[in-house]
Amino acid sequence: MTSGNLSGNGAGSTIDQSVIEDLAARLRQAEATGVAIAPIRDGLAGGGVQAAYAVQSANTAWHVANGRRIVGRKIGLTAKAVQAQLGVDSPDFGMLFADMEVADGEEIAQSRLMQPRVEAEISLVLGRDLTQEQLGITEVMSAIEYALPSIEIVGSRIENWNIRLLDTVADNASSGLFVLGGRPVKIDAFDWRLCGMVMERRGEQISLGAGAACLGNPLNAALWLARTMVEAGAPLRAGDIIMTGALGPMAIAAPGDVIEARINGLGSVRAVFGNE
Amino acid sequence: MAAPKVAARKPAAAKKTAAKRPARRAATKPMTKPAQGAKKKAAKPVGQSRIKTNIKALARNLDKAAQEARPIEQISATTPISLDQAYQIQKEAIALRMLRREQRAGIKMGFTSRAKIAQMGIGDLIWGRLTDGMIIEEGAPIDFSTYIHPRVEPEIAFLLKRPLSGRITPMQAMEAVEAIAPALEIIDSRYSNFKFSLEDVVADNASSSGFVTGPWQIPDFDFGNLGLVLSFNGKPVQIGSTAAIMGHPLRSLIAAARFAGEAGEPLMPGWIVMAGGATAAEPLVAGQYVELEMENMGRVAFGVSS
Repeated sequence: MTSGNLSGNGAGSTIDQSVIEDLAARLRQAEATGVAIAPIRDGLAGGGVQAAYAVQSANTAWHVANGRRIVGRKIGLTAKAVQAQLGVDSPDFGMLFADMEVADGEEIAQSRLMQPRVEAEISLVLGRDLTQEQLGITEVMSAIEYALPSIEIVGSRIENWNIRLLDTVADNASSGLFVLGGRPVKIDAFDWRLCGMVMERRGEQISLGAGAACLGNPLNAALWLARTMVEAGAPLRAGDIIMTGALGPMAIAAPGDVIEARINGLGSVRAVFGNE
Repeated sequence: MAAPKVAARKPAAAKKTAAKRPARRAATKPMTKPAQGAKKKAAKPVGQSRIKTNIKALARNLDKAAQEARPIEQISATTPISLDQAYQIQKEAIALRMLRREQRAGIKMGFTSRAKIAQMGIGDLIWGRLTDGMIIEEGAPIDFSTYIHPRVEPEIAFLLKRPLSGRITPMQAMEAVEAIAPALEIIDSRYSNFKFSLEDVVADNASSSGFVTGPWQIPDFDFGNLGLVLSFNGKPVQIGSTAAIMGHPLRSLIAAARFAGEAGEPLMPGWIVMAGGATAAEPLVAGQYVELEMENMGRVAFGVSS
């Protein structure tokens, strides 16, 4: 399993490593205490997105050193509307750790959450490594073992979700927890681009969409990630989980909520939030 | 575009020519008897004749606005009307189309999705009457100059093979469906700036202006969560799911039967029921190519001439 270190080439970042370490520590502190911090983008402005990934990588390294296990990646900023909102034209990624996984229907304690919001996504699991340079879509498709319906419970260590690109990249792409559905589906058994998605809370619709909302097709997002990870020297490996990105708008999750996402052809998955 | 799989009962199945003003052309082939009037429209006893006059005059204004593609002030700004009166105005305005030899082709449902409710600020289900004069040929261009400020929304259309009226079960509804199709509706409020009250929009036939249906499918699969992409010139502008239509489009058909029963105008075999917009409506501009793709259902498209 890889660390996803994007700061390996280092060149171009004009931010001092001590600043990177300091911002990384502040994000860890926020996560540990549950107290969100002010945006950190100003401190990263000189180094751009590369510096933001350096912060993310510093925390990934710290977590791995402290025993957390990486199980995959999440792709963020895959919706046109969100990209426009943040003024970017590319997705971003964050690390998935084993302890972020919640079982379908398992109650989630409020203490595990920070400003939680939910997104319905297609997740996929790789059956082989994607290590080649200049990867193509067929290589990605051939590497996918199966797909699953999933709910990503995003969170933010930044106060009031007051994020710009640098904040969210540094903050592990605003990741939180994730729930995977229990029925693996083969890659050719559903329509990746046109599959309908509806997410409900007690029968009330809170998000609607389709596969195309994720970068035109969730497979496009997967290809972007696979190429990006090869370029970063930390390629995706067999067994990795990839959360490809939201199929509709994110929705707020309140204590006590039971949220169900249904993706046509993939089935359903539930995120259950405890009252405390 | 593939030929309809189920074409036998398609209303006005005969190819229409790409007329300049498809929505205003007189029909040449009668299809069904003009609808019988509802008998329960008892207006208030006092001033009944004056209200009736008003209703006919208001209907004429709306009909003229549609024909001339010129917006009018919303009725509620000057004349308070009830919901019942609004439906009477709608009926009178459709009667004017009938005089021009248009024929009933079905019914449309409005405000069936949260996105539409959020867009227009109106939260009640409404319905309008469709005529064959509103049918737009699939793949053909529409003439932008014949509209006021048209918008398009993605829908699902039901083609009926049995009459439906009043309170019906989901099983009765399903049994009456011959086929379903992806569909686009052009709405074009006759009111300035697309601004209206619930009564205004009901009087204006739920903003109905034109509709186009794609390939017909036998509904032997669940159509309650079909993904859809509405594109302008190949670029997605709305992405959603048929689940937006009241949770499941079949519920819209059940509501349509109830409304039709209350109005004394049962849904008829060969009619189309437009189930309501699955996303917010998008404004049309001249020169666009408009396309809807729907999961398992194919695509439907039209152009907008400049």
